[in-house]
Amino acid sequence: MKNFFQTSWKLAPVLLLLVLGNAATARAQGGRLQVDQLDVLANKASQTVDVKLDERLLQTTWKFFSGKDPDEARIKEVLKGLKGIYVKSFSFEKEGEYSQAEVESVMSQLRTGGWSKIVTVTSKKASENLGVYLNMTGAEIGGLAVVSFEPKELIVVNIVGPIDLDKLSSLEGQFGVPELGIEKEPKKKN
Amino acid sequence: MKTKLTIAGLFAALFLSALPSTSVAHGDGFNDVVKVIERFYHVKHQSIPLLARAAMKAVRTGARIKGGDYKRLAEAGSVRVAFFEDQNFDSRGQIATFKALMQTTLEREWSPLVQTLAPKDEEQAYIYIRDAGNKFHVLVVTIERHEATVVQATVAPEILAQLMKDPNEMGKTLTEDATIKDY
Repeated sequence: MKNFFQTSWKLAPVLLLLVLGNAATARAQGGRLQVDQLDVLANKASQTVDVKLDERLLQTTWKFFSGKDPDEARIKEVLKGLKGIYVKSFSFEKEGEYSQAEVESVMSQLRTGGWSKIVTVTSKKASENLGVYLNMTGAEIGGLAVVSFEPKELIVVNIVGPIDLDKLSSLEGQFGVPELGIEKEPKKKN
Repeated sequence: MKTKLTIAGLFAALFLSALPSTSVAHGDGFNDVVKVIERFYHVKHQSIPLLARAAMKAVRTGARIKGGDYKRLAEAGSVRVAFFEDQNFDSRGQIATFKALMQTTLEREWSPLVQTLAPKDEEQAYIYIRDAGNKFHVLVVTIERHEATVVQATVAPEILAQLMKDPNEMGKTLTEDATIKDY
């Protein structure tokens, strides 16, 4: 019995790390990013917006949009398959209020787990640090992420489920998704 | 024997610490949130009689869903309101701590929908939601420098769908609707 306790005690920290590690990985899987670590920025930000529209909510409400009105019909079609819309936006009065570590906590997730950057997009906002990422699970789109980091602004938009740039455009300015001004780059002529 | 008991005690403590805290949340989000505001900001809520709320109608604009006809958003008889007026809401630079406290208090039954914070102006808005059969309970907390309002209401999913289109205005719209009595 003594050996059991001694062995268990030695293994406890390892087990704890395994459990926490698995939980973090699970949260980051399937097109969903883990961004709650950014919440600490709320104390420094002059404005924080945090929107979480989960699958249950979206799947309960999409059917109430009119199929007759063209705008609502488009929204209805987009929301139909979505599993979540998550937005975190921080505005700052001064530059340098957030660190590279905070940006890296998001970017590191986008370098793994089926995420790839869409290089054929530009933004009307002329942001140099705006990236649009698509999550693929096999042939299916698992989600989309938009990360924009400016000296006085940090925005992370994560839409989980089947979404593309056209659908993203129809959500801009609604459902908490900010106006990102994302456009597809025109195809270059040879 | 003493070592065994110590180790067993440590395991028990670890196990208990992993369980959800029951010291804060008691299942009634409305009352819990009112208490959290009172404790964090050292303020006291006021009960305003229905007649006084009716008088507010004269100076406020009726709640409308943008682009739609005027209609009552909350289900009849479902509204609970707590006001904090002429008091000082100073987060002392710890607005993120208050946000985390709100989350801890409500996380067992409520899901966060929208949270907006502007620390410099001491402005905060929180919208939480939970299932209520085929409808939804919505909890709206708005805090400004000298006043705050906590509103809980039941809304139909078709109303919620329209409100979700503009989540940033949702709290204001629902609060206005809930604090205005039609005659």
